[in-house]
Amino acid sequence: MGSARCYNKPYMENWIETISIKKVCAQYRVKIWQCPQFLFMIMGVVITASVLATYILASSYQEPEVAALTVLALSAVLFLIGYMIVRAFEQVAMASKSKSDFISIMSHQLRSPLSAIKWQLNLLLQGPGDISPASMKTYLDTVVEQNERMIRAVNDLLEVNRIEDRDLILRPSKWSLKDLTFKITEEYKKYASAYNVKINLTAEGDAPQVFADEERTKRVVEHLLDNAIRYSMNGGEITVSIEKFGDFIKWKVTDSGRGIPQEEQRRIFEKYFRSPAAARFQTEGSGVGLFISRSIINLSKGDMGFSSEESKGSTFWFTLPTKKPI
Amino acid sequence: MTGNGKKILFVEDEEALQRAMGTMLEQKGFNVIRAMDGDIGLATARKEMPDLILLDLILPKKNGFEVLTEIKKDPAIKSIPVIVLTNLEGSEDVEKAISLGAMTYLVKANYNLSDIFGKIEMALRSNS
Repeated sequence: MGSARCYNKPYMENWIETISIKKVCAQYRVKIWQCPQFLFMIMGVVITASVLATYILASSYQEPEVAALTVLALSAVLFLIGYMIVRAFEQVAMASKSKSDFISIMSHQLRSPLSAIKWQLNLLLQGPGDISPASMKTYLDTVVEQNERMIRAVNDLLEVNRIEDRDLILRPSKWSLKDLTFKITEEYKKYASAYNVKINLTAEGDAPQVFADEERTKRVVEHLLDNAIRYSMNGGEITVSIEKFGDFIKWKVTDSGRGIPQEEQRRIFEKYFRSPAAARFQTEGSGVGLFISRSIINLSKGDMGFSSEESKGSTFWFTLPTKKPI
Repeated sequence: MTGNGKKILFVEDEEALQRAMGTMLEQKGFNVIRAMDGDIGLATARKEMPDLILLDLILPKKNGFEVLTEIKKDPAIKSIPVIVLTNLEGSEDVEKAISLGAMTYLVKANYNLSDIFGKIEMALRSNS
């Protein structure tokens, strides 16, 4: 019950909630020390305290140096809080820009499949008598395929939102990463052959099971494989390996693709970041896949990284624990 | 037939869109030439000398702006009307495409195939 929970909260926290600062800061999705409202309140408290302190000190001491030093010290504190307020506003502005970038990217991501569906429906509606059953099936298959693409885009959008709200709930259990990878690579072989890319899988005989959310890890594996295929050179080869790494299992995919330019490498896990080079030759892609993947792996107590050389290829890897983390 | 065998080059990397537009234009009597990336689009324009070019902006190898720039620099093909057909609709994209010489700028998601056909006919008429 809400009221029962309130009694357990510290007095300061209750008081902050009463005047809604905490709620406002939560809406901005920033920590309390990065929230302009809270910092303004602290500034007000410091100013009031400094006026009182200066008055008391000036009344108690004859030496002006004491009052001057006190004012100086309090001014330094106010200067620091002022700086924090400016940074806080920057954070809020960045959050807003990031949201607006997201809306722009997602609307473009949804428009492509929407256009494809619209045009297939235009053809279907022009007169059933003019369409052969084979053509009709092709149009309907395209509608289904593009609809799936939209669902994937919307799911990504919701996942990003959950991550930002710190509301991504994992359901970990013990399962075999090797079996999952085998299943996914089998499914992806047809897709890879369309790009003229070959997938190899190497895995240790008895790799232990991992303790993680299977459904979400599946998305990470699919995403990394999808990237490796799409950015591979024609006729390239992809190697997936699974090995034991202490109390972790290390999953790795190496491609012989285009690689990531040095100047873009530090940004690839950023939300909505799409390499300008990639964006030029790939219509699909919202720039959230690696952000979501790393968030899932980090929440699973694993780690994720990569190494890449332009024109030679990239290696993406992640680790997952084999035991329930303590 | 409306199209009378006139050649239309459609530069678009999404197969589903290529197929739908191609089918509609062929039904209307046009001869549709398809290109899946910017490089092929430009080479095909030079080789086939189409009556009109439908050009997407986000394309593999060479983007639509680069293709448009090169078309308008080449005296042999610069008079071919270009309709930009994209899902980008930032005002800077529209301005850039028009300033580079695009005749019309259409946002794919906002138009039915029949509307686009109307725009193509209009562009061909005004260029004849």
